[in-house]
Amino acid sequence: MLEKILTDRFRKLVRAVLTDVRNQQDLRDEKEFAKDEERIKNELLDDIVPCPANEVLDEDFTVAAVDGSGTENFGILDDVRLHLVSTSVVVLQSNTRRGTLFEPMDRAQLESELNQEQPHLDMHWHSGVRNDARDKLAASLSDIYPNKSVTDLIVHFFQDYLGPHVSSFSDIDSTDYAKHKSKLESIQGLISRAGFLTNTAVHDELRRVSEYAAARTVLISEIRPKYILLDGALSVFMHFVLKYPSMPSGFMLRELCSLSRERNVILCAVSKNHTIPFAHRIAKMAEEKFGTGSKWFCLLPSQKDPGGGLHIYSDRTYIPPRLAVPYLFSFSEDNRPSRIDFDRVWWKKNIFVRDDPAKTREKEKALFQEIEFMSRDARWYGYPVALALAHEECKLSYEDLRMAREVFADVLHELGADVRRSTPMREDYGL
Amino acid sequence: MKLDKNALGTPYGRVGVGNQTNLEIIGNNSDVSVGEIFMIYSSRDGHERVFFFRVLGLQNYLRRVDDVSEIAGTLMVEGESYLSGIERNMLLSLDGRMLGYAEQERGKWVFRSPRRLPDHLAFVYRPLPGTSDETVNLMLSSQIDGEVFVGDLQVGEATLDVPVMIPAEFLPMHVGIFGSTGAGKSNLMMVLIKSFIDHNLGASQSKVDSKPRMSAFCIDPHDEFAKGVDDHGIQSVVDAMDQQTRSDVIGDFYYLTTHLRATPREVKRYAREINVLWNEIQPRDLYSIMEFTPQGQLLIDSVYSRVHEGWIDHLLKMDEDSEAKAGAQKGTLRAVQRRLRFLERSSIFNDSGTSILDDVFEAAETGRILVVNTSLMSDREQFLLTTVVARTLFDLRRAAKSSGNLGDFERQGEMRLPRPFFQRVKNKARAYYGKGGTTNQTEIRDLKMLPVIQITVEEAPSILNPELMRGRSVFKDISRQGRKFNIGLLVVSQQVSVLDNVILSQMNTEINLRLGNEKEIKACIENASVNIAGFEGEFRVMARGEALLTASYRELPLPVKIPLFDTVFERDKSLYKAKGTKKKETHHL
Repeated sequence: MLEKILTDRFRKLVRAVLTDVRNQQDLRDEKEFAKDEERIKNELLDDIVPCPANEVLDEDFTVAAVDGSGTENFGILDDVRLHLVSTSVVVLQSNTRRGTLFEPMDRAQLESELNQEQPHLDMHWHSGVRNDARDKLAASLSDIYPNKSVTDLIVHFFQDYLGPHVSSFSDIDSTDYAKHKSKLESIQGLISRAGFLTNTAVHDELRRVSEYAAARTVLISEIRPKYILLDGALSVFMHFVLKYPSMPSGFMLRELCSLSRERNVILCAVSKNHTIPFAHRIAKMAEEKFGTGSKWFCLLPSQKDPGGGLHIYSDRTYIPPRLAVPYLFSFSEDNRPSRIDFDRVWWKKNIFVRDDPAKTREKEKALFQEIEFMSRDARWYGYPVALALAHEECKLSYEDLRMAREVFADVLHELGADVRRSTPMREDYGL
Repeated sequence: MKLDKNALGTPYGRVGVGNQTNLEIIGNNSDVSVGEIFMIYSSRDGHERVFFFRVLGLQNYLRRVDDVSEIAGTLMVEGESYLSGIERNMLLSLDGRMLGYAEQERGKWVFRSPRRLPDHLAFVYRPLPGTSDETVNLMLSSQIDGEVFVGDLQVGEATLDVPVMIPAEFLPMHVGIFGSTGAGKSNLMMVLIKSFIDHNLGASQSKVDSKPRMSAFCIDPHDEFAKGVDDHGIQSVVDAMDQQTRSDVIGDFYYLTTHLRATPREVKRYAREINVLWNEIQPRDLYSIMEFTPQGQLLIDSVYSRVHEGWIDHLLKMDEDSEAKAGAQKGTLRAVQRRLRFLERSSIFNDSGTSILDDVFEAAETGRILVVNTSLMSDREQFLLTTVVARTLFDLRRAAKSSGNLGDFERQGEMRLPRPFFQRVKNKARAYYGKGGTTNQTEIRDLKMLPVIQITVEEAPSILNPELMRGRSVFKDISRQGRKFNIGLLVVSQQVSVLDNVILSQMNTEINLRLGNEKEIKACIENASVNIAGFEGEFRVMARGEALLTASYRELPLPVKIPLFDTVFERDKSLYKAKGTKKKETHHL
C-alpha cells in the first residue's frame, strides 16, 4: 500500500476528511465552547500550588494503583477464543519523612498482603454461540470477581443511583426496578447486552472486571491506601431501556466506590484519552491565565451541579460519566491535558460544599496538590507514578506474547493437538 | 562431583545477550570496575561448566527506561521531580570478553578456550576474597600452576588468594616484561628473583634430584634489588637464611658491582667486583650491541682470525700502515677504533686481571641468582656485559649439547669459546656437564636437568631492535635456540613496538604492566601469546603493580596483582630458616 499512501491523492483524501471534521464538528463545537468560555475561565479552571519537593507531610500516605492489559486473540481454536488478561497492583508510600518519595512496597510483602501473585496473569475462553457466550462470560466474571453474592453486589449501584433508602436487595421491591429483580439475581442476568457480545466487548469486560477485582482486593486488604487509582474512567454504561448498568462491571464499579467510601479511600480513575472536546483550548486558556508551565485543573460539571453542565458536551451523554465527577488537569506543559474521575457520591460528601464555591475550590486545590505531588516521577512526569508503574508491570509486550504463544503451542503438542491450531490460519497461506 | 555454587562468590546478575566471544551481563548496581572477572555457572545439557568473563566496559542500565537522557533532562528541568522505586531498576550492563570455561574431566578441572556459551540467563557470580579462592584455584589450576610466583589473581580491584605462577619449563622460551616507568617493573623483578630463590631453596631441600634449580643473571640498573626500595630487598632474604641454607642457595656471592668499595657493608660480604677481560670478548658480542659498517666488520673479522683473543688490543694499537696491509679501506680503522675506545675507558672491561666470568659461569651452572648492579655503568658497558655473559653461557651449553661425551665437549668448547677462559673453566664444566664422571668418555647430561638460566636484557630495545638483530647478534641465536639449551631471556622493556619481531615471535610468556601510550598498548595486544583483542580499555586503567599475564601455553590471559616485595618477604621470611622451623605458607592479602 505504500505506493498508494505516498501519493498526492492520499494526501488530498486526508485533507478532505479533516476539512469535513472542521466544518461540521469543530465549528459547531466552537460555537458551543464560546458559550462556556467565560464560565470555564472564571469558575471552573484553577491552578495548583505545588507542594515543595522537600516538604515533609504531617501524615505520609499510601497510594495504590491498578492497571491491566491483555489480548483477545491469544489463541483461536475454531470458534473459541482465548483471552489473556494481566493485572498489576502497585502500592507506594509517599515517604516524605525518609526522603525516598513514593517508594514501592516490596513485591513479596505486597503479594502477602493481597494473597495473590503480582503481576497476575489469567486466561479465559469464550465462544461465539449465543447463550454459551453469555453463560461462559458470566462464569468467567464470577470466577474473577471476589464478591460472589450478586444480590449484595447490585445494591450499591441502586443505593448510589436512587438514594440511601435502597440498602438491601429487598428494598428494590419498592422501586421501579422491582420488575427486573429476577434479572438482578445472577451474573448472567446482569449481562443485558448479550446480543452485542463481540470478542472485543467480552475482552473489555474481562479486563475491566479483572482490574476491579484487583482493586477490591486492595480495598479489603490491610494496606489501607489513601488513594486507589484506576486507569481509564469511572464510567458506568447504562442500558437504554432497563436504566441500570448494561454489564456486571458497572455494578462492580459502584461496589468499589461504596467500599472505598466506607474505608475512607479516594477512588479515582485517570484517563489519558479524555474525549473532552476543546481540551486544548482549555489548556491554552490556563496558560494565558496562570502562565507558561503552570499546573492546573478544570471541573467538568454535570447538569445537576450549580450552574449546570457545559454546552460543549451537552450532546455527549457519556460526559460526565454517570455517578462520577470528571476534571481535566495538566501538571506539565510538555503533556496534553488528562482527565481524572472521582466518585460523585464521595465528591459530594468530601469536596463539594453546598452554596460555598470558595470552600469547594479550597478542597479541590488540596486534592489536586496531592495528586500533582504523586505525579512527579521523571520517567512519566505529570502522570501519577503509581499508575505508570502499574502499567509497566502489567503490560504484555509483543515479545511477552510471542513467548506465551510458544508455551501455548508446546502445551497443545503435549495434549496431542495440532500445533498449527495455535497460529492464525492466514499463516498457512503465508499471509 | 557437583560444584558448590556458593563457593563461586556472591550472586551478581544474569547473562544477557552475546556470543562465545563477547557477552553482556546484567547485574546489580554495585561498584564494579573494568577488568573484574566474573564467573558464570552453566549446566547446559547436564554439563556443569564455569565460564570466566572479564569486564571490558560498563554502562548504567535503567530497566524499563528507553531514554535515560530524557529522564536526566526532566530531573534537571523539573527540579522537584523524583524517581519512584528506581533503585531496583538501577542495574549495570557489563560488556566483556569470555575468557574460557572450566569443566571437570575425569574428576580433574580443565580449562578450555571460549568455544561454548553459558545457559540462557545463566547466573553470574562475583568472586569474593575469602570465599572463592579455593574453588577458583582448583578450577584454574592448569592456568596458574608453575614454579615461579608472579602475583595473585586479580578480579578487578580485589585480589584472590590464588597465586599465579610460571612453569620453570617455559622460562627458556623467553619472558617479556613490558611496562612504562612507574608501572612496577623493579618490584616485579625483585618478586621474580625471590621466587627463583624460593624455588632453589625448595630444590635444595628436596630429597629427589629431579627438580632442576634456576639461575638468573639479573641486571639492576638502579641498584635497588639488593637493598630494596622500601624496607627489604634480596639482601633481606639472604640475611634471613641460616648459614647452611645461604651456602646451599646463595653461595659465596650474589651481588656483582662495578665499585665494590662503595657497596653497603652488609651486601659487600656477598659481592664481587665485575671484571671481564678483553680476551673474553668476541667480535659478535660487539656486533650485538652496536652497528659496524661492513668494512669495519671485515677488518675486525680479519684481525680476529689472525690474532684470536688478542684482537681488541691489536686493533687499538694498529696504525694506518697496518690498516693498509690488512686491505681495509682508509678510515675504517679509525672508525673501528673509535667504537672500541670505550673499552679502554671502561673499569669493567680490562686487558688484565681476574675475570668474573668464571664465577658467573659457576653460579649459572649451580643454580644461583646474580644481581648485577649496573647503575654506575654506561649503557654500552651494560649491554656488552649482558651480551658477553649470555653468549658465553649459550656457547658452553651449545658445546655440551652438540657433544656426545666430555672429550667432544672439550673440542667443541675450544672451538667456540675464547681459549684462556675455556682453559680456566673446562674442568668445572666437565663436572657440571658430565653424567656421573669427568673422563673424556663420560656422557653429557641432558641439558634439561641443568639449571634453567634466565638472562635479563634491560632496556631491551637498545640491543633487541630490528637493526642490530638483522646482523650477527648473539640474541638472535639465543631467542631462536635458547630453549634447546635451557637458557631463556628475560626481556625488560618500556616499549614493545620497537622490539624485533624475531624476539617477539619467540617469546612465550608476557607480563604486561601498565603501558605508556596507545601505540605500545596496540603493539602489546598484537604481540601477546593469546588473543587479548579488546583489552585496550583495561590497559588504560591499569594501576601500578597490576599486570596481564599472557602465555602461549595457556588459554587464559591472567590478570595479576604483583604484591610488594616487602609484603611477600614478610610473608615468607620464616621459610629461610633451617629445616624444621619452616612455617606453613599462607597468603595475607
